Amino acid sequence: MEFLSNTVALSRMQFALTAIFHMLWPVLTTGMAIYLAIVEGIWLKTRNPDYYYHARFWSKLYILNFGIGVATGIPMEFQFGTNWAPLSEAIGNFFGSIIGFEASWAFMLEAAFLGIMVFGWERVHPIIHFISTILVAVGANLSTFWILAANSWLQTPAGGEMVNGKFIVHDYFQGIFNPFMVVSVSHMFLGTLETSLFVIGGISAWYIYNNRHSAFFAKAFKIALAAAIAVAPLQIYVGHLSGEQVYHYQPSKLAAMEAQWHTTPAGQPADWSLIALPNEQAEQNDWEITIPNALGYILEFKPKLSEPVLGLKEWQPADRPHLVALIYYSFRIMIAIGFFLAGLMLVSTIQWLRGKLSPENISQQRLLMLGWIFAAPLGYIAVESGWIVRCVGRQPWTVYGLIRTADAASNLPASNVLTTLTGFATVYSLLFVAVLYFGSRIIRRGPRLDLPIPGLKDQPAVETTPGEFIPDERPVEAQQ
Amino acid sequence: METLSYFLPQVWFGILALFLFLYVMLDGFDLGVGILSLTASTEERRGILMTSLSNIWDANETWLVLMGGGLFGAFPLAYGTILNALYIPILLMVFGLIFRAVAFEFREQAKRKLFWNFAFGAGSFLAALGQGFALGGVLKGIQVDQAGHFIGTTWDWLSWQTVLVALTLIQGYVLIGSTYLIWKTTGELQDTHYKTAKIAAVTTLIGAILITIGTPIFYEYARERLFHRPLVYLFAVIPLLGVLLISLLIRSLFRKEEKAPFIWTILLFLLTFVGLAMVVFPYIIPTQITIYEAAADPSALVFMIIFIGALIPVMLFYNIYQYIVFRGKITGGHYGE
Repeated sequence: MEFLSNTVALSRMQFALTAIFHMLWPVLTTGMAIYLAIVEGIWLKTRNPDYYYHARFWSKLYILNFGIGVATGIPMEFQFGTNWAPLSEAIGNFFGSIIGFEASWAFMLEAAFLGIMVFGWERVHPIIHFISTILVAVGANLSTFWILAANSWLQTPAGGEMVNGKFIVHDYFQGIFNPFMVVSVSHMFLGTLETSLFVIGGISAWYIYNNRHSAFFAKAFKIALAAAIAVAPLQIYVGHLSGEQVYHYQPSKLAAMEAQWHTTPAGQPADWSLIALPNEQAEQNDWEITIPNALGYILEFKPKLSEPVLGLKEWQPADRPHLVALIYYSFRIMIAIGFFLAGLMLVSTIQWLRGKLSPENISQQRLLMLGWIFAAPLGYIAVESGWIVRCVGRQPWTVYGLIRTADAASNLPASNVLTTLTGFATVYSLLFVAVLYFGSRIIRRGPRLDLPIPGLKDQPAVETTPGEFIPDERPVEAQQ
Repeated sequence: METLSYFLPQVWFGILALFLFLYVMLDGFDLGVGILSLTASTEERRGILMTSLSNIWDANETWLVLMGGGLFGAFPLAYGTILNALYIPILLMVFGLIFRAVAFEFREQAKRKLFWNFAFGAGSFLAALGQGFALGGVLKGIQVDQAGHFIGTTWDWLSWQTVLVALTLIQGYVLIGSTYLIWKTTGELQDTHYKTAKIAAVTTLIGAILITIGTPIFYEYARERLFHRPLVYLFAVIPLLGVLLISLLIRSLFRKEEKAPFIWTILLFLLTFVGLAMVVFPYIIPTQITIYEAAADPSALVFMIIFIGALIPVMLFYNIYQYIVFRGKITGGHYGE
């Protein structure tokens, strides 16, 4: 247990643990916020009380997740100072500013309007309430933007240079719009949406499967499915773009993702490894199944590569990522889930087109509903796997090519970090159990369909804006 | 350029002081209410206490997130050095805030509320304690090397002076929490908090007097600043104003006024804050690192003024709007559902 006295390793573990745990909550709330704005918009437009009850029901799960998201987000911010002081000093010019923007542009907006969204139904006009819900969604998704911009900058630092151990910024916009930013923000944005859609769809499917409020939850199910028709395939495409970027900008990460030990030169066909047992000591895969020529197709849509795929042996062991098997399998898990969710969406859409999802028939789709229940947690697993690939694969760098993780950590007594790490592990385990318990309780209780509907003083013709927030692909049936 | 390198860090010192003040004032009463909830006699009362915060605590806590982000961007060296030196107080606060935050929802859902009641109260207490030690630790000073990096040990922040600061801050939070509850509640609950406010006013006063006397005696840097003309006249005014405000506060409590105690307490916080800022300025780590040494590049400071500074009025506006929406007394245990 050598790592128990290694401050850098412990600080890394603490950051990994707190980040992985924190990710679970905003990934749902950012996507679900958009969903809440949509159902509230449909309610204002159609006056069908079911959509009002949907807004009320899902916002209970929203706030449960939001509270833990806030609680677990604070350690993320402060750890940069406590455990990564040299890093903070070196990159504060850029990275610290961006963290500040996240708080002022995004988080404050979400936190302030959340109060009105959750508790303000009786206190403000429905239109003001609707605007508050939209601002919560905007705030949540702006957080995704800033956090992903900051993380992308760690992956592909741009807009300045290192001078005397500090990153001096020449052009902030170049830093924010660093090479990874647009694709990474899109990938994460779609990731939060897709995770939320399959959670909402999965929970709705559970009710339908159990014949509870089937017609009511068929509405939520169809909104989730309609959005998934656009999101699931698009996410696969954006994921591909993200992989292409890694190929160009972070070849050592790509080599670990594919467990490629030897370089494949340009102009050669490259095999894609389907399953392998990477062996870091021997610098080879002890065993693997490969698909001939497939890597060329995956990376460039052609059989022969136009650029070489570098193997891990191109770098000294100190200059390349370790935990190759973790990176390799996390990547494959993410991809498998992405395709599974898209496939589930496709099957469900076919059933929908065949009329099998009408309120009378939907409860008979038992296998399909089971599929959605099974799919509910998969989005989380895919997102976490993706982040493991992204951040473990970036090693040994914290700022790729500029600052090594070993040089970024505070010089703390290992026992301090071990104590707090143990504390986080204990508290987070407790919270995880509690959330599952209370979350499942909210779900088992079901929606309250007897709440008074807040009155609208104006007539329906007044609202013209809400319609804009309903996605175009939404089928006519969902508007009922 | 020369003026800029003085002016910009000063602007950021001011902005961060504003964020910190807003945090200490707003989350201060949240934490105070949390600590008071430990003494609440019935489940219903505790429900009302938590309801009085449920719509605002997260926005209030966000000022801390904002202060952290601002400090990180504007004074990166200080961010690293201070948080590194105060590892234990900061983590105490973090764990406290975690318990406080999750208690809101979990208690609402739980059938047996005892554990989450305790998490709420003890979490609030722990967060206040951590903040008090952090404040005390900064005022006490942090050991750094030539480059401004922390070279002290794990428990440097702990001394009887920092214990005093921590206890006084907790009293201050209880005071502002009590006066907030006086404003937001009625009946017996309000009466209880007239009492707690009176007690807290006295204990805060004792702490404040000890700190005011103790600071120039024990910290040389403070002595030099405090007794240096012409600042000495200004520093002489602050305790006098403090005494005046405390008397006004206590008078308003005896007259059973509803809003005035809260306002006097806020002014008292503000006065303390101005006093501390004047003692510390222009240091960000007292006696070691000035704001000019710790500041980020001028370009970073300008960029942040544009993107954060410009947003301050907007943030204040919608935060105030949200207080207006939820104005009035809390009657039951619920705002909405």
